[in-house]
Amino acid sequence: MNNRLKIGSFLWFALLCILVLPNNLPAQITEKSFELHFQPVFRTQKINLEEPIRTSQGDSLALHTLRFYISNLVFLKKGKPVFTETNSHHLLDLEKETSFTLRFQLPKNVDFDSLIFDLGVDSLTQVSGVMGGDLDPTLGMFWTWQSGYINTKIEGFCSRSPTRNHEFQLHLGGYLNPFQSIQKVVLPALSVENRLNLELDLALLFEKVNWAQKPNIMSPCMDAVQLSKVLSKSFKVADEE
Amino acid sequence: MKSKIKLMTVVSLLFWLLMAATIWHQPDPVGLQIPAHWPKPHYDFSKNELSKEGIALGRRLFYDPILSRDSTVSCAGCHLSFTAFTHVDHALSHGIDDRIGIRNSMTLMNLAWSKHFMWDGAVSHLDFQALAPIAHPAELDHSIENVVQKVGANPTYQALFFQAFGNGTATGERVLKAISQFELTLISANSKYDRMILGKETYTEQEQNGYQIFQKNCATCHSEPLFTNQGFEKNGLPLDTTLNDFGRMLITQNAADSLKFKVPTLRNIEFSYPYMHDGRFRKLREVINHYATTTTLDRKIDLSATEKIDLVAFLLTLTDREFLFNPDFSFPKK
Repeated sequence: MNNRLKIGSFLWFALLCILVLPNNLPAQITEKSFELHFQPVFRTQKINLEEPIRTSQGDSLALHTLRFYISNLVFLKKGKPVFTETNSHHLLDLEKETSFTLRFQLPKNVDFDSLIFDLGVDSLTQVSGVMGGDLDPTLGMFWTWQSGYINTKIEGFCSRSPTRNHEFQLHLGGYLNPFQSIQKVVLPALSVENRLNLELDLALLFEKVNWAQKPNIMSPCMDAVQLSKVLSKSFKVADEE
Repeated sequence: MKSKIKLMTVVSLLFWLLMAATIWHQPDPVGLQIPAHWPKPHYDFSKNELSKEGIALGRRLFYDPILSRDSTVSCAGCHLSFTAFTHVDHALSHGIDDRIGIRNSMTLMNLAWSKHFMWDGAVSHLDFQALAPIAHPAELDHSIENVVQKVGANPTYQALFFQAFGNGTATGERVLKAISQFELTLISANSKYDRMILGKETYTEQEQNGYQIFQKNCATCHSEPLFTNQGFEKNGLPLDTTLNDFGRMLITQNAADSLKFKVPTLRNIEFSYPYMHDGRFRKLREVINHYATTTTLDRKIDLSATEKIDLVAFLLTLTDREFLFNPDFSFPKK
């Protein structure tokens, strides 16, 4: 009786495996798992939500929200794409630390010397209708009163902000000219086997915010464009530890 | 042990039945009847294929006050089917807690041909349109996150989502796509004007005269056959300083767009009063008198009293009773 139970269980398990296993096994052999990790920092200090940061000018700040979109990721060798991620839209949300590590399959012997991605959601996607996954409008990154994704959302407090409780809200978005705020990021990056670590240093952004007049940005505008440009220059490949 | 085997067999059978239902469930596709003399729709149906089940789900959501913060107000509160999917009892739309908004609600019809939505074009795609009234504090005062949570916890909706999308889980994408599916079916193409164009009916002399006046004076903005050029135009109305609504400029921040508003369709205009973005005119003749007397537009529309009456006679031929009283568009009884 016991054997019948075991055989029955095994058969159901085998059937389940057949359904679940990928169809194209040889393709797996030609690929490798790769991780692209983003680490937000303020100069040399790692950023964690709610953790106070002291700037060199003596200001204090802390973030309670840090979210941004990374899209259209491409690895290149001598300017030519060697890997282009499909359906490439990732919402990185510091509340979900795992979202700061993008995982995908690269060709096993891929060799690259740079990578390109968009900071934000491209204008074509913005007007292509509602989507799911990281683009689902329930994720708090879509403006309801005026269509468009918020490319980057940074909220918290900064002692330089003249607002109540020194709070600030930077919602950087806009996909129509002249407030097109999506930015292309190009980084030289030598080939690594399985993981590439990038840093996003917010120090320059906090220097450039117009604290006196625009500590809150909640619609497409030139300040959003300028700050998005600053952010796009704030990525770098992390030094080897 | 026997009972163990029986239990396992039953569980396995249920599992496979569920798998089979998921794999083989196919919503019943629906093709829209696009009038032959109309342009190609702007909406990309390949990204949201219409199905009988998707439309039914969208219709139920459209009429369900669950979309509002306290479950008292639905989309239909401002968009009544028999008044061309707008409201007729207020100049400005009203929502939750009897709060009054700043604009007259727009009609809903032939939306597959629209590129922008709302009077200022703030919304770039039909799928996103419902987000605006759901979140507006004077409309449904809710959030799509909460709507998804509420409908997702409702067993009836779970079944409807499964029928429409092969998955019973509610998501923002599915809620909005379903609402779009229902709204896309709201096609008004069977007015006397349409039958005249197709040679099935003829205009009276008065209607024909009104049609010629319309073509000469109004058709640039209210282009046939949809009776809108889908653009934004100045209508010559002075700013209502109690509202300070500058229209399109609020979105583009371009001074040239000040007081430009989306050109509304004229279809079913007989039933869609009051008129203009702030509902300031209750009668068609008031609208025509405005255009005949305004000095703020490039040109005034000079019309005699008889011509005004003829123009109204033509505008009444844009009424599509089959659309207005279509039982497929009204409150779902089941």
